[in-house]
Amino acid sequence: MCGEGVVKVDAPQTGAVAPGVHADAARCRVDALVARARRERGVYGCVILFRRELDRFLRYSAQTIVSPALTTLLWFLVFGYSLGERLQEIKGIPYVDFLVPGLVMMALIINTFLNSGFSFFISKIHGTVVDLMVTPLTPLQIIAGYTGASVVRGIAVGGVIWAVAILMGASTLHQVGITVAFLLLTCMSFALFGLIVGILARDFDHINFIPNFLIMPFTFLGGVFYSIDMLPGPWDTVSRFNPILYMVNGLRYGMTGVSDVPVGLGLAIVTVSVLLCLGIAWWLLATGRKLRE
Amino acid sequence: MTLGFTLVGIEVGWAFVRKTEPLLSIERLTKRYGDLVAVRDLSLEIAPGEIFAMLGPNGAGKTTLIGCVTGLIQHFDGTVRVAGYDVRRDYQVTRQVVGVVPQELNFDAFCSTRQILIYQGGYFGRRRACERADELLRIFGLSEKASANSRWLSGGMKRRLMICKALMHQPALLFLDEPTAGVDVELRDELWAYVRRLREEGVTVFLTTHYLEEAEQLADRIGILNQGRLILVDRRDRLLNRFGTRWLTVTCDRKLPKPLKDRLAPFQVTFPGPDCLRVRYRGARDPERVPVVEQVLAAVRDAGMQVRSLEGGRSSLEEIFRNIVKRDNHPDAGAVVEPEGGYVR
Repeated sequence: MCGEGVVKVDAPQTGAVAPGVHADAARCRVDALVARARRERGVYGCVILFRRELDRFLRYSAQTIVSPALTTLLWFLVFGYSLGERLQEIKGIPYVDFLVPGLVMMALIINTFLNSGFSFFISKIHGTVVDLMVTPLTPLQIIAGYTGASVVRGIAVGGVIWAVAILMGASTLHQVGITVAFLLLTCMSFALFGLIVGILARDFDHINFIPNFLIMPFTFLGGVFYSIDMLPGPWDTVSRFNPILYMVNGLRYGMTGVSDVPVGLGLAIVTVSVLLCLGIAWWLLATGRKLRE
Repeated sequence: MTLGFTLVGIEVGWAFVRKTEPLLSIERLTKRYGDLVAVRDLSLEIAPGEIFAMLGPNGAGKTTLIGCVTGLIQHFDGTVRVAGYDVRRDYQVTRQVVGVVPQELNFDAFCSTRQILIYQGGYFGRRRACERADELLRIFGLSEKASANSRWLSGGMKRRLMICKALMHQPALLFLDEPTAGVDVELRDELWAYVRRLREEGVTVFLTTHYLEEAEQLADRIGILNQGRLILVDRRDRLLNRFGTRWLTVTCDRKLPKPLKDRLAPFQVTFPGPDCLRVRYRGARDPERVPVVEQVLAAVRDAGMQVRSLEGGRSSLEEIFRNIVKRDNHPDAGAVVEPEGGYVR
């Protein structure tokens, strides 16, 4: 009977592999795919991932660009024109000019973080992350795709705010190089941070916790609306441990020429944040931790 | 002349190597999750162009095995090669060769059905992905849903879309993890027909399934995985012959007399009804088959009875699978489940 014939296969019968019926066609197909893999190296795939992410936030541009820009402009109107009447000048520049870099930085920090974090997290929740994990894309290419699109969104939101501020005669540009450097590095830093959180997050609470309880307080306390020189001790010293302070002041220096902290130190801090986040994101994707298994 | 002969010799030698080279080679694969060993010391080779079905109960390690090959699982002991390339070291090559349809349904809420396919092809470096996407949408009956958001597709349509995604880069080795789970009979039959067509186009298929009929209909070879161990690999027909039983049910014109029953005692004969007997034998190639059937029929004739009907049958793969797994789980159990069902041929 059936049971009598059961063979315990200690060494499974792997040797008994006969070529399949359509083995020649199969081998041709394999050769073509190996050649494509050798040719592509995932570069085109990375561009497609970037385009897909771009498409995703542009499709919902009312939510992803217009809405945050509008919210920030309300901050600008409320603080810049109501409070600004009382403060007049800070560090020798009009308060409205002082405020614009802070608001631009606040908007792009939140938006770059949410873009990569939310997109990656949703792909986990919907199960489509598997479709990405089985592609030939390297961890760095996946990072580049997500981060690149987030940087574009951050620059777009920040650009809209800045453009409106200029139209209202409220902004200046002191040093283009420093301005661009801080914009890009901060965007990259928070896009990478968002990606890390997106990879690690298990539910929506995790993805909402970081912006609400970490980024927003640190941004508010990072000199967006005031100079830390206005703070009583020891809070002015405590504020110097907040990395966002250096990002806000770096951009403020680039746009207005004033800063509470050394710009070189700020540049170093934001560069280190990019490299640190890049390393962590790469490690998470390369090892598949919390993701593949 | 000598040089030409040598070159021909090399070419012939290379062709021989290529002909016998497995497309998928797994050597001593072990995957642990803490104390749980999901896959234990598994070795297996899949030839180019074949359809291989991996059967196993829930939690046997089928999906883990697929994860190790496709790159979803990175940490394991042993070696896995696709087309001769290591899946961890040369993953950019092996993932280009492999396509996978995961077990869990998924959907991309941000894109249209067609756009999802175009992006998926693009990740693999495929240009002109629009044409391929339209072709697959047409083949899988999703053309009307090309512009629809995949969130709103039915379960069966989502399953089809997942298969389309896996096929966008025209893989050579396709993993189907429970491909017909939750789909209706019509789609199942369409899918089976498409899998056969893929094989003709040179796609090697590795499928896991709970529906053993699926393996029986499609597979060239079948493996049985139980508690992470590959307990059996064999060709489908050999498996059915080796472990399956066949039977012949003979219905007579009247109640079987006791002397006839006594005469049939040496054979594997049961009596499902008062006028009916069933003789069992091993697979179609059982050398004892013809003599046994002839002797049973001769005994019926000698008893002066007439045969009203003959009905043949054989145990299904499902029964064979159940028996093998039961035997593996309880090696000391003497009795095995007697095949009851099966379909008549």
